[in-house]
Amino acid sequence: MHAKLIYLQPTPVRIWHWLNALGIVTLIISGIQIRFPDYVSICGSYRDAILLHNTAGIVVALSFSFWFFYYKWVSGALTNIYVPKMDELSNGLIKQMFFYFYGYFKGAAAPFHATPDSKFNPMQKSAYLAIMFVIVPFVSLTGIALLNIGPLRQILLMLGGLQILVTLHFILACILGAFLMTHVYLATLGSTPLAYFKPMWTGWEKVEHHHEGDELHSTVD
Amino acid sequence: MHKQHLPIQQLAAIAAVVASLIPQPGQADPGYSFGDGAQKNRSCLSCHKDKELVGAANQISPKAFQHTTHAQLGCKTCHNTVSDKHPSDGKIARTTTCSDCHTDIASQYSISKHSLSVPDCSACHNPHSVHKPGEVYALDLNKTCTTCHTQDKIAASHAQWLPQSNLHLGSINCITCHTKSDAFVLSVYVSRRDQKTTGSATTVADYAYLKSKANSDNIAKLVDRNQDSYISIEELRNFNTNPLNKDLYLKAILTPAATSHAFQISDKSWNCTSCHAAGPDAAQVSRLVLPKQDGTFQHMDIEKGASIAALNVIPDFYMMGSSRNTILNMLGIGILAGGMVMPVGHGFFRFLTRKNRRKE
Repeated sequence: MHAKLIYLQPTPVRIWHWLNALGIVTLIISGIQIRFPDYVSICGSYRDAILLHNTAGIVVALSFSFWFFYYKWVSGALTNIYVPKMDELSNGLIKQMFFYFYGYFKGAAAPFHATPDSKFNPMQKSAYLAIMFVIVPFVSLTGIALLNIGPLRQILLMLGGLQILVTLHFILACILGAFLMTHVYLATLGSTPLAYFKPMWTGWEKVEHHHEGDELHSTVD
Repeated sequence: MHKQHLPIQQLAAIAAVVASLIPQPGQADPGYSFGDGAQKNRSCLSCHKDKELVGAANQISPKAFQHTTHAQLGCKTCHNTVSDKHPSDGKIARTTTCSDCHTDIASQYSISKHSLSVPDCSACHNPHSVHKPGEVYALDLNKTCTTCHTQDKIAASHAQWLPQSNLHLGSINCITCHTKSDAFVLSVYVSRRDQKTTGSATTVADYAYLKSKANSDNIAKLVDRNQDSYISIEELRNFNTNPLNKDLYLKAILTPAATSHAFQISDKSWNCTSCHAAGPDAAQVSRLVLPKQDGTFQHMDIEKGASIAALNVIPDFYMMGSSRNTILNMLGIGILAGGMVMPVGHGFFRFLTRKNRRKE
């Protein structure tokens, strides 16, 4: 089969993605132990779990800042890649959902093909917009606040106290966890279950040749 | 010492003693009786309240002394060698030792490292102003420790191993961990949220402030709305949500249920999960602690066996692990279950329709 390789994921993005993945998985596991120490001790002692959670939290918060800096000011593609356009919301979103919940089962071709300038289908854009611009920043901010209760005590009390802060952090983390499960599952919906995982590791995605005008960086037979 | 007093001071002292024996209306410092009904401490305190007369080392504050159990016993119970000619006899009014009465404490203390370097009880406890632990603001008890163990050193040594060490030190008595207490009591104080000094340490509201808030001597009614001398979780919740209490908040301190002067650290104190995974069983008792007019504190029981529920309505206190909320846990599981809908639901139909996607 004649296929093309496109360079979809630049090195900084891949480093960010896997650092983020490692950090978030660590946060989830250590977070479960912190909340349910009487049932879970996978990270060792409670103190170890706390230190691991704090470290991973800082890594993910820095990683998020790196991601934002890279896309906003280095590649300049933040808005184009992550913010859905009106047409994508009114038309593309429905088309993509129709594919996932009907066309895919019938064996139809995917309506969207990723390119370096347009990596995400309208559904992905909408989801990532919520995750990367709302959930991750707020779960990071609430986590940073929990690390700095002393200096922030009066502000936190005015906002409702530690209980509210912990509740927010927990709910946001659960939403992120729920997204993660969907995210990993949807990543298996390529031509093969690992087809979408490979480009996030190597940078190159193998795609079937659809249009002669596609920007090619390499081809394989 | 009395031996060093100049003759004129001794004369003044004798004159004061004589004067104190003559009943004079209005002279007896109304409001306290020097601690004993028979006023037998009066003659001693009439001189010993005066620093100029007896020197700083021998000065006794009648106000502080009157609250002590020692005052009820009377000066001569401990100063049993004092003669009727004191101080003109030039002899020091020697005292019995603390261990004569406090035998259990002396026995505990003898095995403590402290007993080697600080053998004298009065180095930590002034017998003329000592209070029972419950009569003092819980964190003020730590001041006894910080007299020798400076706060900087305490903070540094705990920061070496204890995550969020400052938070722990600000919410737990030293003796909560440094005694072998198996159970804890959550002491809840009404604290002032000083808006003008945002970021600074907050303080426990004193009696005068709460009296002005309550418009009454009965300051307990600020929390104990039905005035049954028993605090329900609902009353704590109402206190938090009452807009009139915006300048106040509930501050919780973890205090030991039992203390020991052996000051030994229980092995479990090194294990975070002894508190953080203990759940409601380790902290069944909580109490509201309110200031009294005389500067000490009184206690009022909070709903029995509901410490964790009490924690949940105290905005300034959260104990990771133990304070988790069951309803919130269920909500979290629901959200995560929602995340499984796509993998499980879509995956199921994906499996059933796998033939449609087979490539020729």
